[in-house]
Amino acid sequence: MKRNRKIFFQLGIFIIFITLIAILINNLTINLLRTGIGFNFNWLLKPASFSLAEHPLPYSASDSYAWALFIGWMNSLKVIVSSLVLSSLVGTLIGFARTSKNSLLGLISAGYITIIRQTPLLLQLMFWYFVGFLGLKDNISIHIKNLFKLSNQGIELPGLTLSSEFSALLFGLSIFTSAYIAEVIRGGILSVSRGQWEAFRSLGLSERKGLFFIIIPQALPAIIPGLTSQYLNLAKNSTLAIAVGYSDIYAINDTIINQTGRAIECFLILLISFLLLNLVITNFMELINRIIIKPIKHN
Amino acid sequence: MNLIITFFIKLRKLFFSNVLNSIISLIIILILFSIFFNIFGWLIFNANWKVVTSNLPLYAFGSFPANQQWRPATWIISLLTLSMLTLLGPEWKWLRKNLLLAWISTVPFGLYLLYGGLGLLPITSRHWGGLTLTILLTLCSSLLSLPFGIVLALCRQSSFPLVKKLSAIYIDSMRAIPLISVLFFGQLLIPLFLPVGIEIDRVWRAVFAFTLFVSAYIAEDIRGGLQSIPSTQIEAANSLGLNKYQIIKFILIPQALRIALPALTNQSIGLFQNTSLMAILGLVELLGIGRSILANPEFIGQYIEVYIWLACLYWFVCTIMAVLARHLEKRMLINQAIV
Repeated sequence: MKRNRKIFFQLGIFIIFITLIAILINNLTINLLRTGIGFNFNWLLKPASFSLAEHPLPYSASDSYAWALFIGWMNSLKVIVSSLVLSSLVGTLIGFARTSKNSLLGLISAGYITIIRQTPLLLQLMFWYFVGFLGLKDNISIHIKNLFKLSNQGIELPGLTLSSEFSALLFGLSIFTSAYIAEVIRGGILSVSRGQWEAFRSLGLSERKGLFFIIIPQALPAIIPGLTSQYLNLAKNSTLAIAVGYSDIYAINDTIINQTGRAIECFLILLISFLLLNLVITNFMELINRIIIKPIKHN
Repeated sequence: MNLIITFFIKLRKLFFSNVLNSIISLIIILILFSIFFNIFGWLIFNANWKVVTSNLPLYAFGSFPANQQWRPATWIISLLTLSMLTLLGPEWKWLRKNLLLAWISTVPFGLYLLYGGLGLLPITSRHWGGLTLTILLTLCSSLLSLPFGIVLALCRQSSFPLVKKLSAIYIDSMRAIPLISVLFFGQLLIPLFLPVGIEIDRVWRAVFAFTLFVSAYIAEDIRGGLQSIPSTQIEAANSLGLNKYQIIKFILIPQALRIALPALTNQSIGLFQNTSLMAILGLVELLGIGRSILANPEFIGQYIEVYIWLACLYWFVCTIMAVLARHLEKRMLINQAIV
């Protein structure tokens, strides 16, 4: 009896759900017919006819929309991976500073973390772009022995030129994410009990050795999940690139929608891109988890 | 005199306990001093604060008609008063009981003041802007997404596999995509999914998109709270003869909300900051107003002043929200201890 009722109830919910979806799709088809757009992916192979300032692979305006989307993907990956590395480095440093014995250092890193976390990322990105890079005049660029050049054209290193859009995005994203990563690191270090610190000190290990061989290995299992979610946030936040004019996957979708009006198809493309990206990041962190954490636990 | 000596001893203990620490402290102090002198010197002598001072009404109310600006002003002041009352107000029982109701009623009250009608001059949402719009977006979206999030969390915990699967798919895919795409497609797609003839304006489309997005995150936070309630409690409630609905209403929801409270307040602070994304999508909320002021030829190039001012405003409101949240958490702990 109870089982039957359960199945009946589910069936009811399913029917309501299907009806809702049907109403929505009905509205959608009516609206699409009215505007005369329709739903198909044939446009992907037509020439995109817009140019991109930044393309890691050869691209010209006569290439197809699909190729433009792929270039957007590459650009997204470029900025995500590089700010992932930079923010991890800075975040780890600040996280350690936050827990250090020097209270001045702790105070300053706490101030850094609050200021960064209490202001919107978009505002920070605009600040880095309009003040940090475009604000520099061409003639007051900063040279260091031809090795490093900073101007409103971006950053120039030997063999590597970074556009001002990319650099502003890299800076903004890394600084924003590093504040969150620092909190994750701090949480991880604090999760190791005080007894462990006292134990390695009483064994005569130096502070640095104790930190690297006793504390960090035990903090990692608490750090990795938090780090994963920060990396996922970083990937999602990278779509704010559009605010500084960097052509990432979202900005290119936006341009395509403005040109062709194909909002639904582009939404699906973006959804699938990000589901894939999330899958990649989660699996990557799972791999790190397996490589680093498992051996530690077995010892 | 004694006080000064203890202060110096403490200072030495804190900052100069050994050689390495002293060196680090000295370097930091030097760097800080040079930075502070430069920044303060610039802020006081070089910065031109006219871009802020002459546009204060714009930052607060956007392009709301000048003779009607008392309406959003009343609303913001009433919100501030309510915050002060919540934090420092007397411990009268009737006041404390009705505080939640007061907070919820600020939304219809604010909407009435902004929209007008019923004796006030009607004003369309095109004229809303500035801090008023930012706060309105935050309040409306959090108020709408809380019940929606609770329902989603309950669905994900439900014993019906179909309901569970559907809500899991919704929550996971919402959490996978970036907010800006949800907002952008909310502006584009919501009209497409509505029947012909029904239209909602940009502000409500934004509120709807924020609600769809935030409720997925809230659902996960509340699910965490639900999972941490021991199953013995449900067994106990069952043996007391409570039905399923009563268990959810009296046992599960209050406890899950209490456990999830810190996460929920973080979500609402995040939501407040994220309303700035609407600046790229054509609403003139706080950041949008900043952008349009910077586009004015009179103030061109004064990015630093405007951005610093906006950062201070955002920081200030975020801090108020954080303080309110901490207060709420403390009170809940006290209530729990008494029970």
